[in-house]
Formats: sequence, C-alpha cells, structure tokens
Amino acid sequence: MSSEQDHLKETDTEARFEFKKEQNAAVKSDKGLTEEVIRMISEDKDEPDWMLERRLRALKQYQNMPMPTDWPGQPDLTELDVEEIVPYIRPDVDKREGVDDWTELPDEIKDTFDKLGIPEAEKNALSGVGAQYESEVVYQNMQDQWEEKGVIFMNMDRAVQEHPELVKEHFMTTCVPASDNKFAALHGAVWSGGSFVYVPEGVTVEMPVQAYFRMNSEGMGQFEHTLIIAEEGSEVHYIEGCSAPKYGAHNLHSGGVEVFVEEDAHVQYSTVQNWSKNTFNLNTKRAIVEENGTMEWISGSMGSKATMLYPCSILKGRGATDTHITIAFAGEGQDIDTGAKVYHNAPETSSTIESKSISKDGGRTNYRGLVHIADGAENSSTAVECDALMFDNESTSDTMPYMEIEESKVDVAHEATVGKIGDEDIFYLQSRGLDDDDAKKMIVAGFIEPITEELPIEYAVELNRLIELEMEGSLG
Amino acid sequence: MSAATHTEVHANLTDEQVRQISDELDEPEWLLETRLEALDALSELDMPDVIRTPGRDWTNLHELDYESLVDPLNAAENKDQVGPEEAEVLAWSEAVDEHEELLKEHFGSVVDPQENYLTALSTALFSTGTVIYVPEGVDAEGVTIRTEQNSRSLFNYTLVVTEESSSVTILERQSTGEDSEALRASDSASGDEPRADEQYYSGIVEIVAGENSNVQYGSLQNLSEEAYNFTLKRGDADTYATIDWIEANLGTQLTKSGVETELNGDGSESQIVGAFYGHNDQHFDIDARVWHRAEHTTADLVTRGVTDDVARSVYEGVQDVGRDAWDTSSYQRENTLMLSDESEADASPKLIINNHDTEASHSATVGQIDQEDLLYMTSRGVQPRDARNMLVEGFFVPVLEEIAVDELRDDLEELIAARLRQRD
Repeated sequence: MSSEQDHLKETDTEARFEFKKEQNAAVKSDKGLTEEVIRMISEDKDEPDWMLERRLRALKQYQNMPMPTDWPGQPDLTELDVEEIVPYIRPDVDKREGVDDWTELPDEIKDTFDKLGIPEAEKNALSGVGAQYESEVVYQNMQDQWEEKGVIFMNMDRAVQEHPELVKEHFMTTCVPASDNKFAALHGAVWSGGSFVYVPEGVTVEMPVQAYFRMNSEGMGQFEHTLIIAEEGSEVHYIEGCSAPKYGAHNLHSGGVEVFVEEDAHVQYSTVQNWSKNTFNLNTKRAIVEENGTMEWISGSMGSKATMLYPCSILKGRGATDTHITIAFAGEGQDIDTGAKVYHNAPETSSTIESKSISKDGGRTNYRGLVHIADGAENSSTAVECDALMFDNESTSDTMPYMEIEESKVDVAHEATVGKIGDEDIFYLQSRGLDDDDAKKMIVAGFIEPITEELPIEYAVELNRLIELEMEGSLG
Repeated sequence: MSAATHTEVHANLTDEQVRQISDELDEPEWLLETRLEALDALSELDMPDVIRTPGRDWTNLHELDYESLVDPLNAAENKDQVGPEEAEVLAWSEAVDEHEELLKEHFGSVVDPQENYLTALSTALFSTGTVIYVPEGVDAEGVTIRTEQNSRSLFNYTLVVTEESSSVTILERQSTGEDSEALRASDSASGDEPRADEQYYSGIVEIVAGENSNVQYGSLQNLSEEAYNFTLKRGDADTYATIDWIEANLGTQLTKSGVETELNGDGSESQIVGAFYGHNDQHFDIDARVWHRAEHTTADLVTRGVTDDVARSVYEGVQDVGRDAWDTSSYQRENTLMLSDESEADASPKLIINNHDTEASHSATVGQIDQEDLLYMTSRGVQPRDARNMLVEGFFVPVLEEIAVDELRDDLEELIAARLRQRD
C-alpha cells in the first residue's frame, strides 16, 4: 500500500478534518456586506476597474433579492446571518499568487494540507494542485508537461490580471450571471480565490487537477470562483475537495463554478464536500455544453449544516451529453438538499442522473432536480434514478424531481426508491461473523457501490472512507 | 399580486348573496356562519399552491377571470343522484333537512373550507350537492351522480360517509348542458360583452371512510372546453378502511384538480387512478397526494395521460410518510404520452419520507408513440391512423384495468375513442 493511502487509514475525523489552526491573517475584512468591504477586497487584490464594477453591481443585485424561503421543504436558512459573516481573510503568506513549493508555506498552513494528504496525492495521482486557505490560494502548481502544451491552471485572482480577455468574456456573464440567485449575487460581490483552468484545443490532460479549499477561521465565508474552459476536443478532470474545522458560529461557503465545454470536449468535475457541520453550503455550479461535448458532475456531499446545491448542465449543442452522479449523506443536524438541473436545449442531447442518499440520526436528505427539454430538442433522452436509504425513524428522506417536457420526440424516465436498511441483511451479515457496525457499513458500501465503481479509484477510496467516518461511533 | 385579485372578486360578492343561497337551501344557522366566515376569509387567503421552477409557473390560476365568471345567484344545473335503497343518496337540501347532525359532524372536517381562496369561494357559494350515507355493514353498489352545468358558474359539494364495514361504489359525472339560457340571461344582466361560453365549475368532495369500510369513488369530468374547473377531493380513511379514487379529466380549458387521501387509520389503504386526455389548448393540473399517518398503510398511485395539439399537462404526485407511519408501502407511477410536438408535459412525483420502515417508489415517464410499434402495425397492413389510435387506446389500458366501475370504464373508453376519431 502506498503512503498515499496511509493517510486514509487514519480513523479519527478530529485529526483528519476538524483540527484548528491559529488565525494569522494579513488582511481581514469587517463583517457584513457593504460597498466599503467590496472596495477593500478589490483594492487589496489590485483589481482592474471592470472587476470592481462587476462586484458592485452584484452587491446591488444581492441587496435587491429576497432570501429564498419558499421552496417546498427547503433547508432552514434563518440562522444564517450574512451580516455576521467575515467575507474576506487573506492569510499571511509572502507570495500572493501562491507558492509552488509546499515548504515555502507557513508551518500551520503546510501542516494543514499535509494532514489533508494533498501533497501526497499530488505526487502520486495529479497533474496539478491548487490549495486555498481562507480567501486566497496559497499553493499552485502544475506539471511542466501540461504547461508546455498550453494548459493553464492558476488561481482565479491571478487569471484576472494575466488573462483579462478570457476572464472578462466568461466570468459571470452567460453561464452564472450574478442575477441568477441571491447567493450567486453574493458570490459575485465578494468572490476570492478559486481556480482558472484553460485547456487548449485537442489537449487531453491525463491525470486530474485538484483544488482543495480549506476554511480555518470561525465565522468566515469562503467564496472561491472556478472557471474552466475546455476548448474543442480537449479533455480534463477537475477535482475539488473542501473541509473546515467545526466552530460554534456559522460559516458560509458560497462558491461559483462555471464550465465551458466546447465542441467535442469532455469535462469531469468531481467534488468531495466535507465542510464542518456549522457551515452553510450554498453554491451555484453550471456548465454550458456545446455540440457533442460531455459534462460529468460527480458530487459527494458529506459535510455542512445545510447544503443547497444543484449542479446544472445546459446542453446547448446538438449531441451534448450530461452525467450527474450524486451521493449525499446526512447525519445528525444536517440538511443536505442537493440534486441536478439539466436543460436540453438542442436535438439529440442526453442526460443521466444517478442519485444515492443516506440519512441517519435525524439528518435529512433531499434530491431536488429539474430536467427541462425544450421544444425542438428532438430525439433527446433523460434518465433519472434516485435511491435513498434510511437508518432510523428520526431521519427524513425526500425526493422532489421536476420534469418539464416541451418536445414529444423524447425518452424521459424518472425512477426513485426509498427504503430502510434491512434487518434481514444485517442479521445475515452478523450470522457470518460481522458485528452490527460493520454489517451496516458493508450494506451502505454496497448501496453506493454502483456509483463508486464508476469513479476514479482515488476518489472512490476517499469517498468510502469519509462515509465510514460518518458512520463510526454513532451506530447503535 | 394575488391580494389585488382577491379584493376585486370580493367586491363582487356580498353577505347578502351568501345568505340568500343558504336561505333557499333552508340551512341551519351554523352552516350559514361557516359560509359567511369563508366569504370573509377570502381577502386573506392565497390561491392553491402551484409548482414553480426558475422562471416558470406550471399553472397560472390568476388567468381566471373570476369577476365575470362568478355569478352566485344564477346557478343552474340539471342534476340527478340515484343509488340503491340500502344507502341514503340525498340532494343537499334533503340532507340538510334529514341529517343535520351528520353534516355538523363531517362538513368541512376533511377539507378545511378556508384551506385556500378557491375552497373558501366554493364553500361560501355552493348551491348544489349530494350527501351519501352508508349505514354499518351495508354494501351499496351503483350510486351515480350526474351534474350538468347550465350557468356561468356552479359550485358543487359532495359528502360521503361510510359507517363500519360498509362499502359503496360511486360514480360522479360533470358535464355542460346544451341549454345556455341562464348563461345568456346573466350576460345581458351584467351588460358585459358576451364572453362566448366561458364558465367556472368548482367542486369539493369529502369522504369519511369509517372503520373497515370501502369506498370507491370515480369521477368523470367532461365539461365544455370553455370551462374552468377547480376541484378538490379528499378522503379520510379510518382503521382498515379503503378509499379508491378514479379521476378522469377530458373537458375544460383549465383544470386544477387535487385527489387526496389521508391514511389516518392503521392498515388503511388507498388507490388513486388517474386518466386525462388534453387536446387543443387545454391545461390540466392534476395532483394526486397521499399522507401515510398510521401503521401498516398502503398507497398506489397510477396516472396515465395524453397531451395533443398545444395542450399542457401538469402532474404532481406526493407520497408523504409521517414519523409514526411504521410499515408503510407506497407506490406511484405516472406516464404521459405526447401526441403533438407543440404540447407540453410537466411532472413532479415527490416522496416525503419521515419513517424508515417504508417501502416506497415512484416512477414517471414522458414520451411519444413508440415508432417501432407503429411500424410493426403498419407493416402488417393497419392504416397509420388506425394504428396510432389503437396504440393510444392501448396506452390507457393499464389505467382502465384498474377501474372497477364498469360504467365509468366504458364511458371513458368511448370518450377517448371519440377524441381520437376527431383527429386526422
């Protein structure tokens, strides 16, 4: 077994994710959202005027939009007070664009990412890594071979400076405009950090690039922006991980992800979300997929107090394809409201959505999904499959799909099941010598297996491990 | 936006009108009070919920022009209600006269009159209705209620009460009469431009199914295609009771219909079978909902529908399993067949599960006629038009098979065939 997997054997969640570090900020904004705070952030980043203008416009839109409260069964956001959130913390590091050598980082930050296993993973399985701490990317590196082929993988702030034309064209314009929803507007006003990925025509980036997002401070908000442009015939797999230690005050994560999948391109976007259980996770992720392009969203949602996340694919070109694979796990005090959105706007487009959710100890999962097939998107097809597993009578498992079909030459199917963890299955496994905990773990592993077997091996191992961690110690 | 609508309608309606309706039916004071309270509540009540997705309302109830459609004092209908001797099948005024205690106990107990704006409007203004009472141990077959609307607006009410271990089969039909004299009368009275044949029908159905009783209630709505329709049917199933619904919709330009069962008794069961066929510019919003609130309950929701021309169908199915609903079984299937490229089919089958001791599933499909099936038939010499019609009729078979009321099944089959014959 490689050392990469050694860290996965670590069983203590406290040691792996919930450790806290001293806060050493170079710059820390005031709480709340005012024009002054926005100007301060923009100035601290030495941004061009057009970006400041976009931020201020987004702030206005944010202020004019009501909090979403009327979605059926939506997570309770009343405890979230955005005015109490610190939107911007720049950690005290020397080099603003992120170092490319872990040893150059301050000890507490280096130690954080060591514990999370990022440098190890970089050595073994990744083409490039970006690591964000609080509001800024502190580490950014990519193998030379990709740089030579013209692949760009840099932090988003730096891309604003170095690739203004590309960013100006694609940043929160056609894909996720700030007007999309209240938290997209919030994001547009205070965004900081994140990744910019550009893959030139015909280039296949063979190993994934990974970004890791870490919040360390209590009561802060993280608003990283990820922009991926995959030119014609290119291929890339982007993995993001995230975590934070648990605090009494609420943290807010409101990321923005925009993916442009050009003709015949293929983008896979994988997320392992393990925010602490005091974090509100309210993201907007969207891809625009051109002719014969393929977009794959793979999401594992284990963390957060409340999640509202519905990665969206707009299938704009003929023959575009979408795949969604979603695993949600809600334990005590968690409300994981997640799913998928797909707009079939061209003929011969197809989408496949697979969702598995597990709820226990009073947690709630909800699959909320929308599939829209526009008039004229003939010979399109969509298949949605949602399965939910419940552990106990305190938990809740909801399924709320919405299908809007304006075209008759289509094949639309939705299926969902909900069931409990079977006593007979547990008994069977116990009679073969497993204890109750191990039996339940095995049943859960089997339940999500159809999904994990489609994942890259490192990702599947990590996901299984996280789910095991979630189940440890809390099974009766 | 809704507040403005309410005020306008409200301004049209007066306590006096409600008193007059109640008085003509010789109702007791408490019923009048219930009606007046409902009228009074209108200004504060919202329209029934409709599904909203980003940028779209699946049904727009504000298109309804109540001001010119609601004409409370000129209601006119042809109605008959018949049933076997063992059960009491009474017109509303007879029931008021003979069964006041029964009404007092059950009226408004399943559907809260003030649940939303349209239920309150219906409660305040209903002028016709039927009460079916089935005594303990009685099996009553073949209750039929026929309502033919002959006025601008008509508000109808149905109450079914079954005592322990009884059973009843009910078929209720709504249609629009040829006789439109009353319509013309109300047009000239209001001085408005004749609004073609637009009408508003509203119905509330409450079923109180006693222990171990069995209710089968079928509805066949075939109102004029100029009509708007709001209907809410809800049953309360006691221990070991069964409530089976059949909900068939063919008429109206806009229907918002809810068919719902509360499984409040241990071991209770419900089946909701739905069929619709929308063409021209018809809009059907059909909701099938079941709440599992007790142990060992079972529900089965099956709906099939066709959309043609520029028709739009909206389906919401809800299986809600409560915290105390141990050992629940709940199934739902919905299939829509699109005959036209210009039509739209929206569906949202929902599972709300709060008890893990549940076996629940749902599925929904939307598609067109299977081209291979069509090819198979035409290659064997069946004319394309006949082949298509046979396939559409075949599409409805799984639903028709669930209908135990022969008369309803035959009528529905014939109406579907007739609608298909209208097509090229």
